Amino acid sequence: MAGFALPSATLLAQSILSGIFTGALYGLLGLGLSLSWGLLKQINLAHFAFAFLAAYLCYQLAVSGIDPLLSLALIVPVFFVLGAALQAAMARFSITPFNSLLLTFGLTGIVEAVIQSVWTADFRKLESAYGEHHFKVAGLFVPLPELITLLLAAVLSFGLWAVLRYTDFGKALRASAEDAPIARAFGINQRRNALLLAGACSALAAVAGVCLALSFTLAPSQIYAWIGVVFAAVMLGGLGRALAPLLAGVVIGVSEAVTMAVTAPSWAPLVSFTLLIAILLLRPGRAA
Amino acid sequence: MNKRSARSSPHPNPPAQAGEGALPRTPVAIVGTAVALAFLPALGLPPFYETLLYLILLWIVLATSWNILSGYAGYFSFGHGAFFGAGLYTSATLMARFDWPFLWTLPVAAALACVLGVALGAVVFRVKGIRGEVFALLTLAVTFVLGTIVVNTPLDGGNGVSLAAVPIPRIGSTPPATFYLLALAAATLTLLLAWGIAVSKLGAGLFAIHDDEDAAEVMGVPTFRYKLFALAISCALAGLAGGIHALFLSYVTVGEVFTIAVPLTVVLMSVLGGTRHWAGPAIGAVAITLLLYSFTGAGMAVAGKALVGGILIAAILFMPDGILPRLQRAFTRRTAAALPAAAVVPPAAVPSATVALGELLLQARGVAKSFRGVRALAGVDIEVRRGEILGLLGPNGSGKSTFINVVSGHYVPNSGTIVFEGRDLAHRPGHRIARAGVARTYQIPRPFPHFTVLDNVALASLFGGGLATTAAARRDAMAWLVFTGLQEKAHAHPDALNLHQRKFLELARALAARPRLVMLDEVLCGLTPNEMDDAVALVRRIRDQGATVVFVEHVMRAVLAVTDRVVVLDHGVLLAEGPAAEVMQRPEVITAYLGRPDLAGRPADTPPAEQRHA
Amino acid sequence: MLEVRDLQVTYGQAPALWGLSFELREGELLVIVGPNGAGKTTLIHTLAGVLRARAGRILFDGRDLTALPPHRFCVAGIAIVPEGRRLFASMSVRENLEVGSMLPDAKARRAESLEAVLALFPALKTRLAQAAGELSGGQQQMLAIGRALMTRPRLLLLDEPSLGLSPLIVHELFSAIVRINGEGTSVLLVEQNVMLALRVAHRCYVLEEGRMVADGSPEELVGRDAIRRAYLGV
Repeated sequence: MAGFALPSATLLAQSILSGIFTGALYGLLGLGLSLSWGLLKQINLAHFAFAFLAAYLCYQLAVSGIDPLLSLALIVPVFFVLGAALQAAMARFSITPFNSLLLTFGLTGIVEAVIQSVWTADFRKLESAYGEHHFKVAGLFVPLPELITLLLAAVLSFGLWAVLRYTDFGKALRASAEDAPIARAFGINQRRNALLLAGACSALAAVAGVCLALSFTLAPSQIYAWIGVVFAAVMLGGLGRALAPLLAGVVIGVSEAVTMAVTAPSWAPLVSFTLLIAILLLRPGRAA
Repeated sequence: MNKRSARSSPHPNPPAQAGEGALPRTPVAIVGTAVALAFLPALGLPPFYETLLYLILLWIVLATSWNILSGYAGYFSFGHGAFFGAGLYTSATLMARFDWPFLWTLPVAAALACVLGVALGAVVFRVKGIRGEVFALLTLAVTFVLGTIVVNTPLDGGNGVSLAAVPIPRIGSTPPATFYLLALAAATLTLLLAWGIAVSKLGAGLFAIHDDEDAAEVMGVPTFRYKLFALAISCALAGLAGGIHALFLSYVTVGEVFTIAVPLTVVLMSVLGGTRHWAGPAIGAVAITLLLYSFTGAGMAVAGKALVGGILIAAILFMPDGILPRLQRAFTRRTAAALPAAAVVPPAAVPSATVALGELLLQARGVAKSFRGVRALAGVDIEVRRGEILGLLGPNGSGKSTFINVVSGHYVPNSGTIVFEGRDLAHRPGHRIARAGVARTYQIPRPFPHFTVLDNVALASLFGGGLATTAAARRDAMAWLVFTGLQEKAHAHPDALNLHQRKFLELARALAARPRLVMLDEVLCGLTPNEMDDAVALVRRIRDQGATVVFVEHVMRAVLAVTDRVVVLDHGVLLAEGPAAEVMQRPEVITAYLGRPDLAGRPADTPPAEQRHA
Repeated sequence: MLEVRDLQVTYGQAPALWGLSFELREGELLVIVGPNGAGKTTLIHTLAGVLRARAGRILFDGRDLTALPPHRFCVAGIAIVPEGRRLFASMSVRENLEVGSMLPDAKARRAESLEAVLALFPALKTRLAQAAGELSGGQQQMLAIGRALMTRPRLLLLDEPSLGLSPLIVHELFSAIVRINGEGTSVLLVEQNVMLALRVAHRCYVLEEGRMVADGSPEELVGRDAIRRAYLGV
């Protein structure tokens, strides 16, 4: 077992920074999940598969010479439509939140199979210009892809928070989540809103996927590696929130990074999952 | 989990219809099949097939054991991998580190996994809100925590554990045959246990918990104990499977077991086969394993995975109860098995209470209950005397239903005592209150949707009435159905009944628990005048049987007709008490219901009605 | 303005309304009284589109609303103040009011409506940022009425607004309701507090066990036994 080793200040700071970056990606992934769980009452496990699909598409486009960030313009709309279409199909059946978990697990298997058949199970790494750039800030190493992820996560989180807080659409969504029949009696068109929201969550998965592609090596089996820790972020932050997943993600990312610096990388998962267990034990009502 | 009760399967595991004393057919069939299969290795199959069969049997153990808690009781656990892994690593460590012989590690693996499960359950089942997806996530998190601990400690150390040097016992002629036979034994044990539980009182309780845990608890099912027991057995079997699998793999790593793949596969198999039947998961296990391996064999593993995903989706959408119930419905003719006339014994009179007629049966003093700042009951004193029919009245929001919920154990009161036959029930769990002799019906009937009408009542006989066997409970239940006039519908499901019949089912269920105090919550609401007369007559017969009745009602003519005494609540406080006809004329009661003519006054700047109408 | 013919509604498994017929004239304050379990809430929910009728017709200004999807009832000009308020508890007072004015016409006049509501219920003015769930019972009821008013309705449906409130607050509320009606909004008020309801009504129906058993002007009904019998059985 690796012993405890107190790292130097620089190393610790670097760890924390790296934790913030990883946490930002947790938050970005968790954003769509939290919104669809809290506002649509669907636990969408396929969110991760969609993110990876988007990641692979981004990789493929990059191989053909299209800049990853530009490819967002192509990928995001496609996934928006995909998400809305899926919602339209699912709305025909009345599915309990738990069954939506099982159903989307099935969907994950299908998407994973599609990915594997097109791109094989081999590891794929997106080589882009972004990966070669980094900044040096106060002696700390700031890689560009991670910085982009952080910026995207922050912008989207704040943007969605503002939408939920200040726009009529956001208020309609929140009202519907709280008391659907009465919301309808006030003229809120829930079918249409659900389609838009589902599309948006899917689009968020796509953005997260592109960020994944920028920073990480891709493999179909990796889809499952993110599920646990992102759920931890979602539950820590509370369902149906826009800023909370990002903040929770960063908290988890930093705790993991510090744990890794102080002990060994393999201890990191303990942090997020113990947190998750604690939250679920103490406030099970959060999921309801 | 999925309440598609309209297409629900009948209670899937009726006890043996054969006469009492003959060996039940199912376990004989299971053991017989197992013995027959034990001769398979003698056929000299290529090792590939023995390995495939081993894997099928292993998944049968895993899926069936998972189903014992999750399928029967509805607590879908995503942590089965943790217990499987715990057994796996226990065995591996004992063999590699301490040179234990393989077979001796198996009971230890099972025991450790069992202890782990019980420890988890003891904490988690105490917290009321942990059900459904929260329970699933929590158990998943436990899996990853355990995996992380194992990988970072000498148990695994990140390098895995090699068992290459461990001798494989010579149970079969070859190692693959040995593992096959071991898995066969484990699968047989698991299936026997799954069947045994399904037809036992424990199983009935678990299925009731699945349908409506709160109602089950209040009816007398010891929910905490039952869930814990089911979890213990489930984990022990998973641990056993882990122990066997350890040596099979001969090189174990954390990544094999402490993942999301194991629980999700197990869920898939059970959901596909049917979670309410003891054999459902086994069928799902066979189907999925064969499917996946046939695809792998053809080099199309990826397509296989996609197909499995598609099957799960189709199952959730179109066959939420699984394959097995569908097959059952197609092949069995559901004839309304009429019990021979001699079997219908008139229900025995209620056992005499320790309290004499007219004496104090229930005394509630200072009972208070608030919800998030709203005071539903603000310190209520109510007495109920043995043998009376007491009406509990009051306008909307006065606290009547809350009172019943508190006395029956749905809610714990914030303060006050509730003394029933000399014992304070205020803080006791619901099932103990039911056992003490208190029963209630629900304003909106809450029958268990997946049980037949007969079994709904039989559950009450079994758990509230304390009868020993399901057969005895069913006989008793039939008598109560005759008492309430529902005997024609004994084998129907609650969703086939109209409201009047469901209310009577509620009554039969309450009575089957042999209560000395029956609390009826708005039993007449929604009935036609004729049906109401039937209901009122029934209430009288209930009292004549020896039970005491508390009768919450709004229909005043019924109250006047049948009650001996009434108690009126208003805003959570006792307002009046006495004979109905007299109490309903008192000014404070009239005010509570209608408002006071003089106090109503005219809201400021309102011209009198005559002048306003334009 | 509103005509209901032979309305049959089942609620859950129970038939709640058995062929109900009545009408409400433009500008009226119509009161429906009846004991608990009579079907008052079922009626209100059906008129607001929350429940779907099994048979019968709901005609509003000659338009048949019966088969419309729920969110279209609001478009037609009907707003509900549900029993128990059913506010969006986690949202602020202001947000609750804004949800009331989501439809295009209402939204265009949102500022104007908001001012009118705050003038009617000054207690809400200082609490605009507070979460609806934190208000007192009376304030919640005011907010529920205000939320309905934000839709600029032609017909306002009120389901037991006095439930759980002290007599003083109830008086304030009923003054407000009368004022709203005076400004031209038709009101259908369902109440358990019979005496108070009769004081403000133009006309009144008595609902018992899903059927109308009596109707007339308040003066006619106050003396009659029908009400007493329905509520008290004596």
